[in-house]
Amino acid sequence: MSQVERLEAEAREAIDNAGTREELVQVRARFLGRKGSVAAILRGIGELPAAERGPVGAAANEAKQKIESWVAERRAALEASGRAADLAEHRLDVTLPGAAPPPGRLHPVTRVFRDVIAFFASMGFAVQDGPEVETDWNNFGALNFPDDHPARDIQDTFFVEGGTVLRTHTSPVQIRTMTGRTPPFRFIAPGRVYRHDSDATHTPMFHQIEGFMVDDRTTLGDLKGILHAFARHMFGPDTELRFRGHYFPFTEPSAEMDFSYRGGWMEWGGCGMIHPEVLRNCGIDPERHQGWAFGMGIDRTAMDRFGVPDLRLMFEGDVRLLEQI
Amino acid sequence: MKVALGWLSEWIPLPDSTDALVERLTLGGLEVEERIETGPDLEGIVVGHVVECGPHPNADRLSLCRVDAGGEEPAQVVCGAPNVAQGQKIAYAPVGTRLPDGKKLKKAKIRDVVSFGMICSERELGLSEEHEGILVLEGDPPVGAPVSEALAGADTVLDFELTPNRGDWASMLGMAREVRSHFGGEIRVPPTAPPEEGEPASAAIAVDIDDPEGCPAYVARVVRGVQVGPSPDWLQARLEAAGVRPINNVVDVTNLVMLEFGQPLHGFDLGTLRGARIRVRRAASGEKLVTLDGQSRALEPDDLVIADAERGIALAGVMGGAETEVSDATRDVLIEAAEFHPTRVRRTARRLGLHSESSYRFERGVDPEGVARAADRAARLMAELAGGRVAPGRVEARGEPLPHTAEVRLDPVRVDRLLGTDLDAMAVRELLHRADFTVHEEGGVLVAGVPSWRRDVTQEADLIEEVARIYGFDRIPETLPVAPVAPVEIPWRLTVAEAARDALVAQGLVECFTFPFAPPDDADRLGLTAGDPRRGTVRLQNPIVEEHSELRSTLVPSLLRTAAHNLARQADALRLFEVGPVFLAGGGEAGLPAEPLHVAGILTQGDRESGGLWAAHERIPLFFLVKGVAQRALFDLGYASWCRPEEGDPEPYQHPGASCRLGVGERVIGSVGELHPETAARFGLEAPCAVFEIDLSALQDAPRREIGFAGISRQPMARRDLAVVVDASCPAGEILEAIRGSAGSELVGLELFDRYEGKGVPEGKVSLAFRLAFQREDRALKEGEIAKRVDRVVKMLAHRFGGQLRN
Repeated sequence: MSQVERLEAEAREAIDNAGTREELVQVRARFLGRKGSVAAILRGIGELPAAERGPVGAAANEAKQKIESWVAERRAALEASGRAADLAEHRLDVTLPGAAPPPGRLHPVTRVFRDVIAFFASMGFAVQDGPEVETDWNNFGALNFPDDHPARDIQDTFFVEGGTVLRTHTSPVQIRTMTGRTPPFRFIAPGRVYRHDSDATHTPMFHQIEGFMVDDRTTLGDLKGILHAFARHMFGPDTELRFRGHYFPFTEPSAEMDFSYRGGWMEWGGCGMIHPEVLRNCGIDPERHQGWAFGMGIDRTAMDRFGVPDLRLMFEGDVRLLEQI
Repeated sequence: MKVALGWLSEWIPLPDSTDALVERLTLGGLEVEERIETGPDLEGIVVGHVVECGPHPNADRLSLCRVDAGGEEPAQVVCGAPNVAQGQKIAYAPVGTRLPDGKKLKKAKIRDVVSFGMICSERELGLSEEHEGILVLEGDPPVGAPVSEALAGADTVLDFELTPNRGDWASMLGMAREVRSHFGGEIRVPPTAPPEEGEPASAAIAVDIDDPEGCPAYVARVVRGVQVGPSPDWLQARLEAAGVRPINNVVDVTNLVMLEFGQPLHGFDLGTLRGARIRVRRAASGEKLVTLDGQSRALEPDDLVIADAERGIALAGVMGGAETEVSDATRDVLIEAAEFHPTRVRRTARRLGLHSESSYRFERGVDPEGVARAADRAARLMAELAGGRVAPGRVEARGEPLPHTAEVRLDPVRVDRLLGTDLDAMAVRELLHRADFTVHEEGGVLVAGVPSWRRDVTQEADLIEEVARIYGFDRIPETLPVAPVAPVEIPWRLTVAEAARDALVAQGLVECFTFPFAPPDDADRLGLTAGDPRRGTVRLQNPIVEEHSELRSTLVPSLLRTAAHNLARQADALRLFEVGPVFLAGGGEAGLPAEPLHVAGILTQGDRESGGLWAAHERIPLFFLVKGVAQRALFDLGYASWCRPEEGDPEPYQHPGASCRLGVGERVIGSVGELHPETAARFGLEAPCAVFEIDLSALQDAPRREIGFAGISRQPMARRDLAVVVDASCPAGEILEAIRGSAGSELVGLELFDRYEGKGVPEGKVSLAFRLAFQREDRALKEGEIAKRVDRVVKMLAHRFGGQLRN
């Protein structure tokens, strides 16, 4: 056995016996390092007879490559088993609860409002708002409520000292928006409104959405079409809508809408063609322009969507409700 | 208004199906709120058709019938009634039915013939004592339908919700007209002309109207020699079905006629009147009147009073007086039928809280042409039912008639233009005609004559509404508008509210909505100073309760109450917020309050150190949580905010040592702080809380932070950590600012990542650890350059803050 062959056998054994990467690094240095065995053989070539120099040099270089590949193989093997050991060691109780941030929640009414606004924005309706304390004119007079008329009784009003009122509906926004604007236009007005009333289905504050459109041609048929599309968006694609004749001072003809609900009808809101007097009050000529308006409560939709049985629960701020839904 | 269909059917033929009636009336605007079945329980009993009727093989007085009740084949039924005959529609109770008396029907063998069920008499149906024969159903009710429907007229009461414009509906006559407009038929008005005898009424009474505006018409009738006593059963039953309490025959007649014709009446005991004179006048100031309910009422000049020669005897249209009330001793009656001004009646009724069937109708207006008729009808019934003698003639007086538009013009083209229908002039005419308008044409325009009872109709739109109502909203075709495309504007107020909600929800806060009502002493409860603008609250005139008598000028108290509500219900570590307006008196346009939009939040200390998370061990003081939430929210809204304790006085309701003002740009826009312990006690809050409130409206003009991509440096970033020991009283905010100022322009990141007091740090000192990050755009920084900058910072810290590097 030549010196080189002995060296290879020795290296093979040492590499196979290296149990860690550190040992392997040392083994490699012993054989392939600058002061290693292979280097020593190569350095000694000059002292050999000329005829041996070539074959010994070649054999040493071959050995170097062999050893290098054995080291690489051994290193890969050691790494693989090391990783397996690491993986075996890192064990969590994965059934411990996850550490999510605390659950933030939007109020159900906010969610329904967003849904409503998104729907109407898709139909090209802009959004308007207005103050919650309103003048008698904006809340009643301009909307064609005569003074001292039973029509005012429908809306149990909170009166504010100084002759103003808490708006009883979102319709004053209609007045504010139409005044000084030239048709065509279409808007919705979401907002809070107030009535002097309190029981399981009435709270002194609740939420409405108002919608209106004025141009020179839009009809009651258009109003029906828009509301039906809206109802299907809110309550499902099979929702039917029913229009009942009604009376509101600010629309004529006026109707109330019901949507189909569990085999019956659920009251939804009111609508109609904007009364010519209301248009006139806003500086719009009813001979040239016409339009429609609708309004409905939002809270009951939110209650129904989230299964809340009592309207008052919506405004108590009880986290046991708010965090559930 | 409650209407018994049996009664209504005497006025007008009703459709066979009550469902159809209810549906049509409801769609036409006369909403049925409730349908009350007052008769016996007739479940299971159906309409049967006697298809065969022959003699019973074994009994002379029995018949053997075959009854078709909608089943597969007619049932064999033995019947003992003499009036049963082939072709009749009858009430058939099949085997298994439970009759109103509780008996359950079984298959029976009668004289060897099996009878499957029974043909019922009225007594067996519990309708009356009639048992001479079977009940033969009138009309042509559908075979197999529940018999209760075929009998609906007798035992169904519909409770209608009347709209305020249609006072004319508040009577049988009005209901009959409405039914006619939908289903046709002829109205049968009960007879009104009374038999007259004796001295004329004018000998007994004279009528003067001193207030012609208040009383357009007054009609008096005199009935002598009445016997006051209980009304007959049928009359009492009618009143009761309509929700009116029977009193005695004279009063009941006035109420019955009111229900029939919609004209309220009043009966005076003629013997108690002084001076044989009725005067309709304004109340004198300081005048008092004891009304029927025994209450003494202080009157005002706006009140309309019925007086005799000496004193007030009734509040016109609202309530009669006690002294002239019809009693058992009454012999002669004065019947008052009048038209009073709606507004005057309404004001008095409202002021005194006396809302009655009478005031209800006067407020909505009565038919001026029905006044005398009602007086006649009442006189006739008093003669019939109370044995009175009607004095010949009416005594009438007139004031100023109320406005009535006799004719309204309608261009039929406008109907389709507004409704989107396709109706021609003929169709429009026909529809208006059905709604009781007379119609003729003048040059292509329809001219509608408005009936006397429709004072609500004054213009074209009113007629179009009638057309839509009678035609049916359900028949108007659905379309979608054709409109120009235009950009959709969303107001800033809505945008910022939604953005604030998102920013807070993202940080784990829960949104609540509370009422904006506040008690008058919230400003004191918060300890607001005398000059604080939030003391300028808006007061309600008619709050539901005193605790809700003002509108809030800050969102904080609502949140404190909401937190207390939740804590009282075992909630822990609350994180709540609300977005909404606050109200500041006189700050808005046209005398309205200012309504800036605010957002406020509250965090409460959880009862566990870890804050609920099993792996966390240290609690961050609440103040920093709420400060972080508020500033992060502002950042997300697009604003760089500051938090400076030296800016303004602390909020009086916040802890003076753990609160500060929040600002954007030059302006203070809110505050953050832990709750002052005294405030907490006043709101019943036991757990520590911290709150923030931000005026979102103030942000509209505030400078927004620059949002945009500033490039990414390809050069390596060098990070250096520094721990410095300084006086504990030294504000960390100032140190951060100072480091930023001295580290040079290559400082791209600065973070305070640890604060430590305790072992290893001298008493009264604190160790603050900062991480500084340096980077250049164009090249890597050299070690020496970094060291130089860090050294500059260290020297500055030592110089300005006495800071010592900690190892």
